[in-house]
Amino acid sequence: MKTFLKWTAGIVLVLAVAGFLSFLYFIPPFLTAAPETFSGPMMTAPPGLSGIADPAERAIADRGRYIVMRNGCIGCHATNGSQGPDLTKYLAGGGLKFQTPKGTFVSRNLTPDNDTGLAKRTDDELKRVLRSGVFPDGHVVPYTVMPWADLSNWTEEDRHAVVVYLRHLPAVRHQIPDPDATPSITRPGAVEQAYGGKDYGVAPAVPVE
Amino acid sequence: MECHGTAGQGDGPAAHLLTPRPRDFTLGRYKIRSTETGSIPTDADLVRSVRKGLYGSAMPGWETLISDNDISDVVAFVKTLSPRFASETPKEIAAGPQPVSSPQSVRRGYGVYQTLQCGKCHGSDGRGTGATATTFEDDWRQPLRAADLTEPWTFHGGPGAQDLYMRFSGGMSGTPMPSFKDSASENAMWDLANYVVSLARKPLWRMNAREVADFYAREDAEARANPVKRGQYLVDTIGCALCHSPVDEHKRLIPGLKMAGGFRIHVEPFGDYPTGNLTSDKATGLGNWTDDEIKRVLTRGILKDGTRLLPYPMDWPSFSTLKADDLNAIVAYLRSLPPVSNKVPPPSRTFLPLFLWGKFKLLVLGSDPPMIFYPGNVGSAGAGRQPLEP
Ligand code: HEC
Ligand code: HEC
Ligand code: HEC
Repeated sequence: MKTFLKWTAGIVLVLAVAGFLSFLYFIPPFLTAAPETFSGPMMTAPPGLSGIADPAERAIADRGRYIVMRNGCIGCHATNGSQGPDLTKYLAGGGLKFQTPKGTFVSRNLTPDNDTGLAKRTDDELKRVLRSGVFPDGHVVPYTVMPWADLSNWTEEDRHAVVVYLRHLPAVRHQIPDPDATPSITRPGAVEQAYGGKDYGVAPAVPVE
Repeated sequence: MECHGTAGQGDGPAAHLLTPRPRDFTLGRYKIRSTETGSIPTDADLVRSVRKGLYGSAMPGWETLISDNDISDVVAFVKTLSPRFASETPKEIAAGPQPVSSPQSVRRGYGVYQTLQCGKCHGSDGRGTGATATTFEDDWRQPLRAADLTEPWTFHGGPGAQDLYMRFSGGMSGTPMPSFKDSASENAMWDLANYVVSLARKPLWRMNAREVADFYAREDAEARANPVKRGQYLVDTIGCALCHSPVDEHKRLIPGLKMAGGFRIHVEPFGDYPTGNLTSDKATGLGNWTDDEIKRVLTRGILKDGTRLLPYPMDWPSFSTLKADDLNAIVAYLRSLPPVSNKVPPPSRTFLPLFLWGKFKLLVLGSDPPMIFYPGNVGSAGAGRQPLEP
């Protein structure tokens, strides 16, 4: 009887460990779930435009929506929920934190919320970020963090369309910490030591929350 | 610094992504001047460029951001980067008073436009139609587009007739845009300036619904007619080169390897993802991939050999929203890239126990999984230049 219990306990333990390890192995299901699990929501998540009355503005915002979708702004400006990004809070920010030798940057809230979003930024201020990475307070975000060097290649029309679309996102209250200019990586070689790299490490991107 | 480089030579890390490229201050040659061909610009010219920025480029206006005193200091510093400012004095163009524009002046300007053959570069309509060439290289062998004269908001030196007059008589140093001072009279250049101002089309932000629809219909038709150009626009704006070009430890493009891959991205705990060679090389690039295979990577994250990609770092779930025409355009553009041989190793998984330990840290201990971008080239081109074996 005793040996029987011992054996059962042993087997249960082995199964539990094996189960836990395979759970770790397959979660998140990036390589087991169908690709459409990840790409499907990208088409439907961006809020629609039916609320816009002026047809010219609606057509422009529609173009902006397409540009925002294909450029993958959501890849950085998403808001994390308990199960990956919370796509109902489209572009409310905070999903990614960049620790770089130039400081720590957190992706910002792009919805037109009054206090925490873009409501107080003028169109020209937004276009300047999207063209040159320069913020109203004068700081310049590295182009490896917010890819303005690529976005500067947009035609002025496309940049305008993106700004118009951002103005029509549903406002989400979500306070994002301001960038902190103290270098997160001060000791040369710290990144390589920590993560086993042999060459120079730059700008590790780290999800927060 | 990101753009013009630490020594002001126009070779900052972001430089290879920008069209037009940032200026090399050490040469003392400036496009936006009110001075004669070959002359250095006046202080007022430089202050203006810093204050207002250069429209149609990534150079922002610093007017509301830094004080006038600081701007003068910056200009003084920029001048120290080139010895020309110490030894030369600017030769200002003496512009007479600006005549008022009139329909007659515009019509005469049209004649001048024909005589001086501006259409060779800018097209008969100012939009490049019928031009012999519209893409050029500047004196630093960097790509450059002839300005679209119907879009004055893209003129680097400003949209007014006065600004244009200065560009016509001084030319734009370092670019193919010549000076016309010797081939046209002062009056003819004013007429020309007025004509170019009159070409301006209505900008999108003032159009009504019909005009917006027409504008986009025309844009889409042009995109379909010229998929390579459209593909280049998409690739430049989405920023494929940011990951698919290897850079040195100062984050500057390794010469000759643009879009040739070999830039290593380590994704904790999943493993190493060296970016693939996107040039048309048959052996090491996309030369032997079918169109559908390329599209499958972009829309479903599956490589030619069946390897699945994570949804990051390459955001293929977002690329999957590209319209069919745009996907075709990207493929057409990638096919047009000159072949560069650079054999890049396939993605590699982390050693299993470490992989599980990494997942444990990520999911149970809630630690931050870093993504690290390694400068250098893990591909075969120039191997041995840097010890970069992952
Ligand atoms: C690689 C990650 C990344 C991607 C992709 C990205 N961003 Fe950003 N963005 C950031 C970060 C980080 C910041 C905050 C920078 C700072 O605070 O200095 C930012 C800031 C901004 C801001 C300024 C917000 C403010 O408060 O003024 C705007 C606007 C913006 N992004 C728009 C976009 C758009 C539109 C796209 C898609 C075309 C996009 N971003 C794609 C990372 C990204
Ligand atoms: C040899 C080809 C060539 C010819 C001929 C030429 N241009 Fe240009 N032009 C260019 C290029 C290239 C640029 C873009 C320069 C840049 O972006 O730095 C340009 C830029 C311009 C600009 C924009 C200036 C600014 O501030 O950015 C105007 C306006 C212009 N050209 C008008 C004309 C007119 C009018 C003529 C005829 C008198 C003419 N061009 C003849 C090649 C040419
Ligand atoms: C954030 C970085 C990043 C960006 C931006 C990016 N890619 Fe990728 N790409 C990768 C990584 C990582 C891989 C997987 C490793 C590999 O190439 O095998 C990859 C793979 C590919 C492949 C398969 C190549 C091969 O030889 O296996 C193609 C094709 C491709 N990308 C095209 C593009 C295009 C087109 C764009 C722009 C629309 C783009 N990529 C933007 C990182 C990126």
